Amino acid sequence: MITINVTVNGTAYEETVSERLVLVDFLRDQLALTGTHIGCTFEGVCGACTIHLDGAAVKSCLMLAVQADGHEITTIEGLGGKKLTPLQQAFTEHHGLQCGFCTPGILMNMDEFLHKNPNPTDAEIRHGLVGNLCRCTGYVHIVRAVRAAAETMRQTG
Amino acid sequence: MFPAAIEEYVRPRSVADALNAAARYEDGEAIFLAGGQSVMQAMKSRMMRPRCVIDLQDVADLKGIDHSNGGLSIGAMTRYVDVVEDETIDGAFAALRDAASRVGDRQVRNRGTIGGSLCWNYMAACTPAVVLALDGQLNLMAANGTTRTLGADDFLLGPLETARGDDEILLSVSWPAPAPHSGSAYKKWGQVTDALPVIGICVLVTLDGKGRCEHARIALAGLADGTQRAAAGEAALIGSEGDPASVDAAMSKIAEAADTHSDMSADAEYRKNLIRTLGREVGATAFERARA
Amino acid sequence: MATNPMDNGGDWLGAPLARKEDLRLIKGTGKYLGDIVLPKMLHAVFVRSEYAHARIKGIDTNEAQAMPGVVAIYTGADIKDTMKSMSQPVLLPNLPAKFPTYWPLAIDKVKFHGEPVALVVARDKYVAVDAAECVYVDYEELPPVLDPEKALEANSPIVHEADGTNEIFAMTFTGGETEDEQKKNDIEVEAIFQNADVVVKERFRVHRTGITPMEPRGVLCDWDETDGLTAYITTQRPHIDRLALTDILDIPAEKVRVIAPRDQGGGFGVKAPFYRENVIIAHAARELGRPVRWIESRYESLMNVGQERDQINDLEIAASKDGQLLALRNRGIADNGIGCTGVYWGFVMPFLGAIEMPNAYTWPKADIKLRVATTNKASLTPSRAFGHFPTRFALERAIDMVAHRLGMEPSDLRRKNMVSTLPYTSVTNEYYDSGDFIKVWDNLMAQIDLSAFRREQTTAREQGRYLGIGFGCGVELSGVASELMVPMENQPGYGAATVRLDPRGKVRVYGGDAPGGQGHETTTAQAVASIFGISPNDVTVTTGDTGTTPFGSGTIGARAGSYFVSAVAKACEELKDKITRILAHDLQIEASVHHFEFKAGEIIYLGDTNKRKSFRDAVERIVMWPINLPEGEVGGLDTTAFFEADKPMICFNADCCIVEVDIESGEFDIKRWVTSEDVGKIINPLIVDGQMHGAIVQGLSNAMFEQFIYDDQGQQLTADFEHYKMATAADVPDIEVTYAPTPCPYTPLGTRGIGEGRPSSIPGAVTNAVCDALAPFGVEITELPLRPDRVWKKIQESRQ
Repeated sequence: MITINVTVNGTAYEETVSERLVLVDFLRDQLALTGTHIGCTFEGVCGACTIHLDGAAVKSCLMLAVQADGHEITTIEGLGGKKLTPLQQAFTEHHGLQCGFCTPGILMNMDEFLHKNPNPTDAEIRHGLVGNLCRCTGYVHIVRAVRAAAETMRQTG
Repeated sequence: MFPAAIEEYVRPRSVADALNAAARYEDGEAIFLAGGQSVMQAMKSRMMRPRCVIDLQDVADLKGIDHSNGGLSIGAMTRYVDVVEDETIDGAFAALRDAASRVGDRQVRNRGTIGGSLCWNYMAACTPAVVLALDGQLNLMAANGTTRTLGADDFLLGPLETARGDDEILLSVSWPAPAPHSGSAYKKWGQVTDALPVIGICVLVTLDGKGRCEHARIALAGLADGTQRAAAGEAALIGSEGDPASVDAAMSKIAEAADTHSDMSADAEYRKNLIRTLGREVGATAFERARA
Repeated sequence: MATNPMDNGGDWLGAPLARKEDLRLIKGTGKYLGDIVLPKMLHAVFVRSEYAHARIKGIDTNEAQAMPGVVAIYTGADIKDTMKSMSQPVLLPNLPAKFPTYWPLAIDKVKFHGEPVALVVARDKYVAVDAAECVYVDYEELPPVLDPEKALEANSPIVHEADGTNEIFAMTFTGGETEDEQKKNDIEVEAIFQNADVVVKERFRVHRTGITPMEPRGVLCDWDETDGLTAYITTQRPHIDRLALTDILDIPAEKVRVIAPRDQGGGFGVKAPFYRENVIIAHAARELGRPVRWIESRYESLMNVGQERDQINDLEIAASKDGQLLALRNRGIADNGIGCTGVYWGFVMPFLGAIEMPNAYTWPKADIKLRVATTNKASLTPSRAFGHFPTRFALERAIDMVAHRLGMEPSDLRRKNMVSTLPYTSVTNEYYDSGDFIKVWDNLMAQIDLSAFRREQTTAREQGRYLGIGFGCGVELSGVASELMVPMENQPGYGAATVRLDPRGKVRVYGGDAPGGQGHETTTAQAVASIFGISPNDVTVTTGDTGTTPFGSGTIGARAGSYFVSAVAKACEELKDKITRILAHDLQIEASVHHFEFKAGEIIYLGDTNKRKSFRDAVERIVMWPINLPEGEVGGLDTTAFFEADKPMICFNADCCIVEVDIESGEFDIKRWVTSEDVGKIINPLIVDGQMHGAIVQGLSNAMFEQFIYDDQGQQLTADFEHYKMATAADVPDIEVTYAPTPCPYTPLGTRGIGEGRPSSIPGAVTNAVCDALAPFGVEITELPLRPDRVWKKIQESRQ
């Protein structure tokens, strides 16, 4: 067991974890942040567990919890806090989710994407989404929502 | 789904400390963790069961891209995203960005490292093929502090196999200043966008003053034997001006010579066709970049 | 884009409202099964078979048992005498089949790679996996049965030895009830083929694939001596699960409660069967007196469920030279896998697939037969486009091949033979209740300029570019009437809903069918709000808890927009009637419900619009102050209504896609996808659009990328997302959805259930487009998946 210090959604935690604990299990089971989802066994392809590690979108199923020691994490619960971000707002306005299981990962990935690429083409949005599988939407409304969020964010700065 | 028990996790701040930690374990019992995008898969599926994980994230000496003296040096812990976002990696080195921008997905590129990919050397991986075609020099350090440099030909031995000893760390991959009029390109094909390459091909050409190819290196990804040079095509490109016919001819030679295999992704014959179709495009781009 | 609910002025039917479900899901506060934690909860992990077919000689659990943190280990031998088999009547269709008898864990023999062999229960999920690795099973390998055609041969090894055959099910779907009638029909069909101008005869193969939900399955069971079993299950049909648990575990019915979590990460049919994992987890919870949770890994999911399609159809079409379709003959063979899956047993999907084969075309005669073979693979499990993804692919492809032979436009051939008058009973005796297929088709054709496309195609070919256009269409079930549900699944088809009015003017609806992302909370609220003239914000929908909801057969077969919402509407109308009876009495007027308008939170007497009362006050008066009522009335506003259609109902759609094929690589780019839909009266167009997008892309992903592959020893090679390739956003096109609706006359709101069958027309349409592009090469593709390597190979063959 090992003690780690990690800031999650602005709260500093000192937690004792097993060396082998996967980061996503730490977030879900130890911190009870169940908005981050698990959709693969070991392969890390579905992207439902995407979080921000020091601002970068990464898959929390492909990291050990101990690797997060000393870092800042944002999960879906901390994305907008009590308010919705323009991206979250666009997802509901454009029906960018159905079952919602993949949605937290998509929002976390696209949030970083839009900060790096504030004026994306549809093709760029689709390419940016490759690391997130969605079974319900056919991606059509997701692309529309991301595009709309980009417009809103450009207008409001 | 969950890694097997790990006895020790260490996070050294220097290469020396990392090597010392590894030296405390028998061969293979301690592993270096770079970006972990493949190693975590292996640990979670329990294909790998290390006793000790040595996390290299805090070793500053392993990070960064250095362009000094017209050459290029990429620290082993440099993430794909950093290569993608460094637009000065162009010309002779452009294939590195072609590959890095299409590895996995955004999340993998935010985390995965160039050195990790080279040391893992998966049969269907982009970075080893590009470094092989670009003739990268792999700089390694061993526990006793001795360093050695291996050419990519000597470093990349076969699928999941490199010349790196368990007690060695890959420091960086580097290149001297490239010859003028050099250009490279890489492209792959997988069943879905940016998937592991069923076939990937990287071409590096150097042109003489008249725009004729005087030097070429070509490597393939996705073969059963792992990343391979395509010597037949390299020879065939010498003297070419990058016109479609000569590039086509070179790629057909590569396809003919390549020992392609059949699996559930594609059969051997289609792999050969991929070498031809991708090679044509990649060859043309490499010439274009060399002329720029 | 969604509009603000309050801007709508009360006409909620058809309003593109943002969903009520969304807020919690975009904030990460949804409650999926994996998010539920109970005190003292234990974690379960399965040991699964490493072989496709092997005898179990012994299981050594000693080492695992001794590991710290391990609480219990169960094997087939341990549990066999503590429960009944999984083959209980509630799970058996009323169809003549050889139903295997099986238990939650394998006994004596394993019959597919991935079958559950033992269950490890531990205090920690990591420890449970460690222990599962130390359960040693001694296997004696047996020859696996993997080819469905060979499985039906006399000398084949038998999967379920007690059955004496691998033919789990066989049926003739045409000609009549008796063998004599069917034989006579076969002869008549043969005569048509003998004399036809054109006959197309091909073998069509569709691979094993299906709709894998993003959330895998899970079960969490809690046992309490007083309350009995509470089982949280990822399920589309909690009420059926409840009966099955009662019967198999012999628990008094009043002591079993099943709860489908409010949020479920997709179902698509995969969460519709009753699974063996449910039983063994419940058993463990009862034995141990502690909650036990199992969360399926993706590996287990891809090994066990979501595998469908997998049919060979030897299909023949006879046509006249002027393009009249004369007869259809099909010999289907389905690869059932082991079939140990309650409710469906594998074969129910190909059964319905055969019924749905004739599609929207008039066939004067047909001879359709099906044989279903048990093999050593995972059982077929339902997947959206239930059973008819392969039969539709075969038919829509064959129709294009007939058109090619006749030199006709495939779209003209389709329209010429399309059912033009409804109701209509198909040649397989499927009833098409209402709608206007021709209107839907013509609307599709109006979206594209076919002759302009043909000109563009000709010009492009001259430049070495290969463009193609493809069509397909689909008659789909809009819910499943009891007339079909009772024989097919031994369950009722009616919809059921409880509507409860609150003295504060709020409405709560209870439904027994458990959704998985379809937006039931929103569409139901819109229907209720429209009927009561209130805001959808005042309507709350509870689903999936057998302790509080009326019996429903589940969220299956597009039931929500047809049967469930119709039951809701019926219940609301009953309550509306009661409210107005009492209001008329209070206002001292002679009036019935028709004399009142429910609008903007008020109930207005149309005879004198000054006479009005707020909805809230009217409800409070009846629920809280039930005095001075009309004679014979009692207070309270809470009712359960059931809706049944006399005859099955359908919806209809048509698809067109345009592709460009690179003949050097075989890669193709879908440049345009446009659809025309009759979904009846639309409740929420955003949600309907989303259903269409999702279904179409599922169809494409199944047709082009996804494939379950077993090697020659029956080892499953595709049990992770690196190998089971789902389409990413970058692999699929934008979708244009258009509507040509005809309201359904048999539902109270004119709605049709939509979404379930929708992927079925996709594989035919996209393959037709690729073949149209490659017409200069004479390429006709008859096998899926439609992958670049296969397309390239076809081009090579035609060039030789």
